[in-house]
Order: sequence, then C-alpha cells, then structure tokens
Amino acid sequence: MLEGVIAFEHARARFGTVTVLENVSLVLEAGVVTGLVGESGSGKTTLLRAAMGLVPLAAGSVALGGVAVARLAQDRRRFAATAQMLPQDAAGSLSPRLTVRALLEEPGRIQGRDTWPSVVALMAMLGLPPVLLGRRPHQLSGGQARRVAAVRALSLEPRVLLADEPTAGLDVSVQGGLLNVLLDQQRALRQTLVVSSHNLNVVRRISTALVVMVLGEVVETGPTASVYASPAHPYTAALLSTNPVLDPVRRIVALPLRGEMPSVLHPPAGCRFHTRCPQVQPRCRTEHPNLAQNAGLAGNAGRQVRCHYPLGSA
Amino acid sequence: MNLVEIDDLHAWYGEAAVLRGVTLSIGRGRILGLVGESGSGKSTLALALLGMTVGLERRGRIVMDGTDLERLDERERATWRGRRIAMVFQDPSSALNPLFTIGTQLMDVLRRRDPPPPDLRQAAVAALQAVEIADPAQRLGAYPYMLSGGMKQRVMIAMALAAAPDLLLADEPTTALDATIEAGIVRLFQTLRQDFQGSILFISHQLGLVAQLCDDIAIMYAGAIVEHGPAADVIAAPRHPYTQALIACELDDRQDASAPIASIAGDVPAPTDHPPGCLFAARCPLAEPRCETPQMLRAMTPEWEVACWKA
Repeated sequence: MLEGVIAFEHARARFGTVTVLENVSLVLEAGVVTGLVGESGSGKTTLLRAAMGLVPLAAGSVALGGVAVARLAQDRRRFAATAQMLPQDAAGSLSPRLTVRALLEEPGRIQGRDTWPSVVALMAMLGLPPVLLGRRPHQLSGGQARRVAAVRALSLEPRVLLADEPTAGLDVSVQGGLLNVLLDQQRALRQTLVVSSHNLNVVRRISTALVVMVLGEVVETGPTASVYASPAHPYTAALLSTNPVLDPVRRIVALPLRGEMPSVLHPPAGCRFHTRCPQVQPRCRTEHPNLAQNAGLAGNAGRQVRCHYPLGSA
Repeated sequence: MNLVEIDDLHAWYGEAAVLRGVTLSIGRGRILGLVGESGSGKSTLALALLGMTVGLERRGRIVMDGTDLERLDERERATWRGRRIAMVFQDPSSALNPLFTIGTQLMDVLRRRDPPPPDLRQAAVAALQAVEIADPAQRLGAYPYMLSGGMKQRVMIAMALAAAPDLLLADEPTTALDATIEAGIVRLFQTLRQDFQGSILFISHQLGLVAQLCDDIAIMYAGAIVEHGPAADVIAAPRHPYTQALIACELDDRQDASAPIASIAGDVPAPTDHPPGCLFAARCPLAEPRCETPQMLRAMTPEWEVACWKA
C-alpha cells in the first residue's frame, strides 16, 4: 500500500496566463492533520486539487507515497480508493439526478466493495436520518448536502483525505459533529488529512501542522501550536490576530494591514506581501524571499518562513 | 427610552412560521448583536423592520420613535426605508447596481437627505472618506466591478450611512470577506460609532465577532428570541440552555484538544412544526414536562430577559 505522504516539488500551476501556484515545495506528512490557511485566491483549493491530480502542473511535481500523482491519476478508480477530496461546493458535487441512496452506494459499487455498513454508521454519526435516502440533492439543506458528500468520501476509508473548507456554511451547532467524525476516522486509519479553512479556531483545534499561503506561494509552515504561539511571517501574524475569541474583555487587536491583497493577475515584485506588510523594508520591494528554515526562531524545529525579516528572530 | 420596540411579531407563509412572536428592543445609540443559526429568522426580522418580507404575512407591532411602522401604508413606510432605517447586505456584489458608478449611487442616496447637502459631490467624497477608502475623489468614478469585495462593502456602508439613518441594519456584513478584510470592516464599525449617533442591529452567526463589537446581544432560535441582554453578561454567564449549548460549541484555545468537539444533537423545528411549548425543548438536556407550556421572555434583571422558566 502507498504511504500517505504528499510531496510537492517546485510545483507551478497556471490558469491561462495566471499563475495560481508558484514554486510550491512542501511535504504534507503521512498520518498527520495539516491545516491550510490563506486569503481567498491564495491557492489553497488549487493545491488540494493538484494533489488529487485534478490540476495539471505547468512545472515541478507532486507525488503521493513517492509515486507521481500524474501517474497514479491515470487509473482514477484505483487512485480514488486511496485519496478522496471533500470539495468546497459539496452540494454541487452531488449529481442532481441521483437519490441520496444512489449517491452513497456509488463509491462502493465503483470500488467493488460493500461499503453500505459504513455508510449507515456514518449517516448515524453525522445525524442524517434514513428518510433522506429517498431524496435528491435539491431537497437537502446545505448542511445536509455537505454531510452526504462527507459520507461518500469517508465510506471508502481513504488513506488520504483532502477537505476543502469542510465547515464553511455549517452552523457551529453541527460543525462539531462533522469534525469529530473526520478526526475519528483520521486517528483510526492514521489517515493523511489536509483541511483548508477560513476558520482559524477550527484549524487550531484539529491540526498539528500548518501551511500558510499568500498569492499562490507558501509563506510559512510549521507545527500548528508553535505557529499560533509565535507567527514568524507578518501575514500569518496579521491573520491570526484577527481571530475573534469569545471573550468580551479581549477585543480584536488586529495588526494594521494596509489595503487589500494585490491581484494574483499582477503579483508585486519582490516579496508578494510587501504592499500590505507593516514591517516592509526597501529590500522587500525588489528581492523575492525564499522559503527557508529559520534558525533564529528559538526552539522551533520544522518551521519555515518566506520573509527577509521574520518576526521573533534574533 | 428605546429606539425600537418590537412586540409579538409574527411572520408566516401558509403553515410555515418564520417569526414566532419576536419581542425585542433596540436601545438608542447601541449596537445590538443578533445571533442565531441558519433559518432562525434573523434576516427575516431585519427585512420586517424595513417592511420588505416579500411573500410573508406579518402580525405584531414595530414601534420606532413612537410610530408603529406596521400600521403605516406602503407610501409612508417607503419614506422610512433608506432614510431612517438603512441596511447593509451580506453580499456587496449583488447589492450594488453594476451599471452605475459608485459616485452616482452614493449621490442618489445623499439626495434623499433632508435637506440634501449643498454639494453632493463633496458630500460623496466625505462619505467615502468616512469609511476609510483611499483616493475617494477618484473612486467616485469607479464601477462596482472595479472594486474588491472589501471595498464594495465599505461603499455599501457609506451608502447606508449617507442618509444619516437612526437605525442601521447590518446582515452578516463580513461573511463574504476574508479574515483580514473582515477585521478591517469590524474596526470600521467600531470607529463609526464615534460619529454615528444611531443604533445598529448587527446580524451574525459568529458569536466571537458579536462579543467584541456589540453592547447587547439577542439569541434567536426557530423564529423567536430566547435570550436578550448585555453582551458581556450573556456571554460570561448565559441563562438559556440554548445559549449555553451554542457557546459550548465555540472553539477556543483554552479547551482540551483531545476531547470531542461539542455540538447540539437534533434539529431545529421545521417552520411547519408547531411545538406547543418551548421551541428548544426537543433538543434541551434539561427538558421536563413543564417545558411543554409556551415560554415567554422573563426579566432576570432590568436589561436581561430569558425565555426559560428554569433560568
């Protein structure tokens, strides 16, 4: 069986003339929950889709367990048994012509396995009543559609699960149920689970590794707890400072970020974040920083940052 | 005295109840956060304040400054809309007219002020300045498609404030925006309070945001208000079991990460369900036979009301 480690090397993806992933070199460890954060348009979804072989790379490579995804994806049926994606638009991923029952039977039928017992168990765990089996996607609420899509992916017990904004649009009263089911399966199978999210509290709670993206580039990686405690990239610091906490005494003290993220159509020269960076120096406007280990980050093994002047370094 | 007193407001369509007797007041100059899950009726309540719940029947009272808005005819109601009550919608892209420059759209609203400002263009520049848009004079000539989502939302807020309303309704104004842009908009609301004398109804499903922005908080469940009081008090020591469950679902850095994440079992009653008693009873861990009787808001303190006999 393939190991679940996903490795990007100098990966670049383009849509027409727009570069949406730029020189991404990144290892998503097997058996680990990795959180993926960044603004809209920073390339999170493209990164996940590239790992599924759904986006052709213009340069570089992505491999799963040491085998090029481009090769694995030639046999989609076999690849689907190993790697599954929870798409952000869950409702749109369900064929409108099929009933929920047919949608949930389909993965097992394609793989030639009896997955129905796990479908039934997952539906119960996610609070989906059996009466839904006779309905079609347009008769489901957004939250129900998202959970049905999750049952489809999880019923195959994949080695690798890529979840794109799994809690977006879910009420906080039901998001816990879905996250618990994801985490239970992750632990039971020692699954490689990558979760992109705008919800910083969710990412902190469930992930042990963190990847931060800006305009198609990875700008910071490291253990989640360590990055949350002392972010090294100014964007990460600004992003984490916006996280609302449920304490009326602790008001938002968002770091001042100038303006808005530049368009990915025209990324700025030098550091891609320099137009908004509160710590910008002349060098940042001309010289593009590399993603590098930063020895100055005391006691932070495994952390990388793409910044000439990382925060918290000596 | 409060700016707005909503009393036993119902909205329904056939058998489906969307608002089930909402009773709620909005204090003068205060920011009231309205929190609830999808389908709890938050947006319908805001639209009812505008008299714009298309397709729904309504019954009840909405008294603002001594006038019962629900008894006005449509022409009188229209003079309140946009002038005295303004709204910022969730999706700024679909709320701006794509065919006109933002300057034109902004000046259309300023013209409705009584009396209109002598120099509309200058007033429009000042309005954009107030929402911290750079190069406001140049931006007047921009069409909506030329602006980012965060900029468009700032323009919407400028337009809503342009008529100097007494009540600003903000329906999830940051949901469509990225976190760092959202923080900027929230900070803008905080800054605006220094000049804006009116009240704000801030609708959100994010308790954390409401905790940091709002003076008061109202929790809505299945078309009714179940708890209403000062934000700091309610969040520190919620009295209604639903508020307690909702707050327990929030994730923060002080929880044990190895424990299961909290959620609320069961479902919100469908609009066509009409439970005889407490609307939350079917999901409530504390439910007893007495909960089968209707639960009205009861005052805990002069500012704090809860719709639960156990509170």
